[in-house]
Amino acid sequence: MFSVMGNCISCWKRHREPHKEITLLLVGIDNAGKTVAAKGLLGESIEGVAPTVGFSSSSMRYDKFDVTLHDLGGGKKIRAIWKNYLSEAYGLIYVVDSSDGERMQESKAVLKDLLQNPRISGKPVLVLANKQDVPGALDEIDVVDQLDLELLVNTYKCPCRVETCSASLGQGKKMDAALRAGFRWLLETIGANFDLLHKRVEHETALQREAEEQDKRERIARVKKAQEERAKAEGQNEEDCCS
Amino acid sequence: MGLLSILRKLKSIPDRELRILLLGLDNAGKTTLLKQLASEDIAHITPTQGFNIKSVQSEGFKLNVWDIGGQRKIRPYWRNYFENTDVLIYVIDSADRKRFEETGVELAELLEEEKLSGVPLLIYANKQDLFNAAPASEIAEGLNLHTIRDRVWQIQACSAMTGEGIKDGMDWVCKSLKKK
Ligand SMILES: Nc1nc2c(ncn2[C@@H]2O[C@H](COP(=O)(O)OP(=O)(O)OP(=O)(O)O)[C@@H](O)[C@H]2O)c(=O)[nH]1
Ligand SMILES: Nc1nc2c(ncn2[C@@H]2O[C@H](COP(=O)(O)OP(=O)(O)OP(=O)(O)O)[C@@H](O)[C@H]2O)c(=O)[nH]1
Ligand SMILES: [Mg+2]
Ligand SMILES: [Mg+2]
Repeated sequence: MFSVMGNCISCWKRHREPHKEITLLLVGIDNAGKTVAAKGLLGESIEGVAPTVGFSSSSMRYDKFDVTLHDLGGGKKIRAIWKNYLSEAYGLIYVVDSSDGERMQESKAVLKDLLQNPRISGKPVLVLANKQDVPGALDEIDVVDQLDLELLVNTYKCPCRVETCSASLGQGKKMDAALRAGFRWLLETIGANFDLLHKRVEHETALQREAEEQDKRERIARVKKAQEERAKAEGQNEEDCCS
Repeated sequence: MGLLSILRKLKSIPDRELRILLLGLDNAGKTTLLKQLASEDIAHITPTQGFNIKSVQSEGFKLNVWDIGGQRKIRPYWRNYFENTDVLIYVIDSADRKRFEETGVELAELLEEEKLSGVPLLIYANKQDLFNAAPASEIAEGLNLHTIRDRVWQIQACSAMTGEGIKDGMDWVCKSLKKK
């Protein structure tokens, strides 16, 4: 009885405020401030963040969106995993350490690599020019210039917005207003193009899942075969030594 | 309340006890790693037939680390240790490329276990002191780590032989648990 009622209320609610499930990727080279930005957006404490050499994912409710945020490691040795997450992204948050002029070229190359990927071209990108609190940090104009951003986003047709911010200001009320505004822009842009993006993501992730399943079956078969051969060889050895 | 019990209570707050499970194929270096964590002698280690357990302190946590033998005939018993696991540490021999697929398949099977659902995963890419050790990206690829989306995971390059990287991995473990 109660469960029936509960169900009704939840369907009614769903009808009234349909929420959209979307996935965003937080990318950028190591030490840019991705994890700190993620924690700020999620309202978690930003103390004691360690470099990410892997994958961390969290979900939050924001307006009419159920947002899943994938925070990926940006170090040279782990960046190669990014390609596996591109198809499910509705948009990117690309974080740059504005205080590290020496690594701007590296960051530019990494961004270009992303935007020219057919799984990303055309999707919206929020660029966070982070660490503005550090004296001597590059300003918005310099960051745009050094990343060659105008040319990049025009070439690959990615709606783009740049926000200068300090992710380390804090979470919740203390969070940098520019970061929050950038995030809102990203969600609104996704919302405005939702049907198209959704179709694209559904299609591309289905293809990827299929390929992954196939790959998994093949791996299991190969491992089984190798194990059987090894067991056989070991049996053979025992026979050899006993006879 | 007596003074002693107050003291005990104060002390017991930061001392959260955590259960850490150390798994991986045979010869990955689990026991060597465990001994290195406990600052014990790492010479004369033999393949583990059952399990070893040690408690180590780190960042206000008491970590109870369980090291289970990885030989094929022992693997079916891993499941006896899954209950109440706070962190899963999976150790691999980074130089043994021939077995990346096998260790990946074994890991994928583990992660399907209900009792380990959502448990954070640390992968120690061990034996980095060997000249032919694979880097993190190759290991992520070889083990198909990107298909793991239901939990946080991290790769830590290390050498149980020299001790390098082990502390960084344990720091990650403590940090990823603090927010709980
Ligand atoms: N001054 C300053 N430091 C920041 C800011 N944001 C992040 N940091 C610091 O920069 C360092 C790297 O931050 P992370 O969030 O771990 O960087 P990341 O991009 O996640 O790096 P990887 O996980 O290695 O890819 C940390 O020490 C942060 O405290 C900022 O706005 N200002
Ligand atoms: N070069 C090198 N050798 C290592 C390292 N760690 C472990 N070994 C060696 O690898 C072999 C296996 O180590 P163990 O610690 O017994 O491996 P295990 O994972 O406990 O194996 P099982 O108990 O059978 O599951 C031993 O000869 C170790 O000395 C390392 O970091 N570098
Ligand atoms: Mg990070
Ligand atoms: Mg052992």
